[in-house]
Amino acid sequence: MKTHHDTRTTLRNLLFGMALALPAFAGLANGKDKELLNVSYDPTREFYAEFNKAFAADWKAKTGETVAIRASHGGSGKQARSVIDGLEADVVTLALSADIDVLATNGKLLPANWQARLPHNSAPYTSTIVFLVRKGNPKGIKDWGDLAKPGIGVITPNPKTSGGARWNYLAAWAWASREYRDGDKVVGYLTRLFKNVPVLDTGARGSTTTFVERGIGDVLLAWENEALLTLNDASTRGKFEIVVPSISIKAEPPVAWVDKNVAKHGTRKQAEAYLRFLYSAKGQALAAKHFYRPAEPDKVPAALLAQFPEVSQVTIDGAFGGWKKAQAEHFGDGGFFDRIYKP
Amino acid sequence: MPLKRTLLALAIGLAVLPAHAANPRDPTTLELLARIAALEERLAAVEGHYETTQVAEVDQRLRVVERKQELQAEADAARATTATTLALDAGKGLSVKAPGGLEVKLRGLLQGDARFFANGSSQNDGFLLRRVEPTIEGSWGIASFRITPQLAGDSATINDAYIDLKFDPRASVRIGKAKAPFGLERLQSSASTAQVELGLPSELAPGRDIGVQLSGDVAGGALNYGIGVYNGAVDGRDGLTANPDGEFEYVGRLFWEPFKNSASNAGTLGIGVAASVGDTVGSGNNFLPRYRTPGQEQFFGYGSNIAADGERLRQTVQGYYYRGTFGVLGEWIESSQDVRVASGTGAGTRATLRNDAWQISGGWVLTGEDAGYRGVVKPSSPFAIGGDGWGALELAARYGRLEIDEGAFPLFANAASSAQAIRSWGLGLNWYLTQNFKLVTNYTQASFDGGAAAGADRADEKALFTRAQLSF
Repeated sequence: MKTHHDTRTTLRNLLFGMALALPAFAGLANGKDKELLNVSYDPTREFYAEFNKAFAADWKAKTGETVAIRASHGGSGKQARSVIDGLEADVVTLALSADIDVLATNGKLLPANWQARLPHNSAPYTSTIVFLVRKGNPKGIKDWGDLAKPGIGVITPNPKTSGGARWNYLAAWAWASREYRDGDKVVGYLTRLFKNVPVLDTGARGSTTTFVERGIGDVLLAWENEALLTLNDASTRGKFEIVVPSISIKAEPPVAWVDKNVAKHGTRKQAEAYLRFLYSAKGQALAAKHFYRPAEPDKVPAALLAQFPEVSQVTIDGAFGGWKKAQAEHFGDGGFFDRIYKP
Repeated sequence: MPLKRTLLALAIGLAVLPAHAANPRDPTTLELLARIAALEERLAAVEGHYETTQVAEVDQRLRVVERKQELQAEADAARATTATTLALDAGKGLSVKAPGGLEVKLRGLLQGDARFFANGSSQNDGFLLRRVEPTIEGSWGIASFRITPQLAGDSATINDAYIDLKFDPRASVRIGKAKAPFGLERLQSSASTAQVELGLPSELAPGRDIGVQLSGDVAGGALNYGIGVYNGAVDGRDGLTANPDGEFEYVGRLFWEPFKNSASNAGTLGIGVAASVGDTVGSGNNFLPRYRTPGQEQFFGYGSNIAADGERLRQTVQGYYYRGTFGVLGEWIESSQDVRVASGTGAGTRATLRNDAWQISGGWVLTGEDAGYRGVVKPSSPFAIGGDGWGALELAARYGRLEIDEGAFPLFANAASSAQAIRSWGLGLNWYLTQNFKLVTNYTQASFDGGAAAGADRADEKALFTRAQLSF
């Protein structure tokens, strides 16, 4: 018989103390810095890469809190579906309001009036659609009518998956409506145009790859910011030029925080601040630097604004009765696009 | 080619006719040759343009085809991340992965033994289904789970049923029934142990128990810790489904692998200490241990009038070292228990009895594969009928002792039926035919101090165990 009562008592107390500390350990392990996921569309990669750093620094300076921002990019429609399917975006910065409307109506992830929560219909920057052609414009492409001519290779993404592609399509429709003033002729024109499209990418960045890097086609229907980015890229500078068509469309990519997800993550405050920072002088200047037309140009140096050419632009509301109507008529199942394009 | 000939004939004809119209005199041969040369030059330019156009068109078509293939590959890759996938792997079992990070796996362990005892043993020769353990594992975000029933007995029981919350590699919380972080050999997977049955120290270690555990890896994974609170389990057995006495048992373990992050070829060294402490109060098998031989025959048990009545304290020092084809594992465990004579002779007498055991075991993989805590993970040349491979062969040996506190006799245990000490050695040959199928042969021999009538020693135990094991 041996007694080790003192040893046992000490050991027992030690283990008991460690066990009591268990929840505290678990809590500490879970106490991470805040993180935001921005689910965005294709051509915003470079802009948000720089903007995210600027916001994180600004937020740290104002609140002392470290916030890490992750970004996901892809075709706007595809990204919206991913969010509905469970990708837990804190904020969405998509190509068109219809894609965020879907999050509200189908996903119930944010309220239907989301667009009224931020200035300028929640569109802190705009863009438009232009043509990017090969240097010297060898096919002599000047306006939308040229795109439907035989032998012209047109590169545009798929309107079913890409927000940019829907803007492209609607800009072409707006020109044709003004040109032909006849519905059948408009449909006929777009049918001929899409027969000239050899590859339908899922997103705008993919189409840029197809045209610029893979050397396919004669003209790329591009976001203005994407076209300007290509012209300013050292590896592609001098190989392409921009053709501004007689008419284009005012593209308004909107932003919103996703209420259900920010409530779950506890990031509501950070998400709203992140989006409001887009409207700050710093945010607007960064947008212009990355070739987006700022919604509040008075906050941006004139030198940055000079890079944007004058373009006659229709609006989605004025020419198509808003996104909801345009979406249903043109891109819904059995809509005009299904009649125009047969894979 | 027909086009080229037509163009050439047309060009020559056009060249000759105007010559007649413009100049009535016959052209000289030199003039005709010069004209033909000029026309050939113009024709070549026309053909060049034609061919360039054709090449450009073919080039574009080729680029389009290549790009479409590229986009298809991208789409397939994207689909793989969003679609539910089913995978069957020899090492990892059947796995179903769904979008959003949900994964469910089905694994299994089947062990069938043939066991033979030398004359004099009270054990019967025979066949035994030792383990039949289908396992369902799953993970979803920080949460994962494991459910392993044991179907080998006469009635089904649950081996493992727990939820893990993995907040961080440094901190993971396990809730449910699982192995307590204590014995080195007990913590080894049942499919990986070198011998058919565990060694003598494991008779003193707690088995699976129900409770809450915090564990994690720190120092780059070199230091593993585990602390937990459990209902409490008697030595060498699993805990009950409910806490029989309302007392808890606290278990903690530290295990250090100093070479884990070293680039040197120093092998795998692991050293650990662990302890458990808790009160237990009651009599019978749920409160006091019974110790078994390597042949699974009981050689020690407390008297039926003895009750656990106070603290149960265990402590252990453990370690292993594996390098190349060799490996050695050692473990010492001491278990002490406050006991009381509940009735009969000496009723009311109390004592703290301390039992201890140690073992050292080693292995050598004859076929050159690496030895390790997880056994031979994968034979270099798996066995195949008609093929060249024979799998992997491993020789294993073990020696161990277990001693009962001398104070246990005669008041707390009957010296005529319970031995005061056991020494055991064993030799084994493990044949890993494939990653999933193993054949094991063990010979073990145990000798005793006491345990028989009139102060004699219990007869030696000699046992030959063989096992066929399928695991995935």
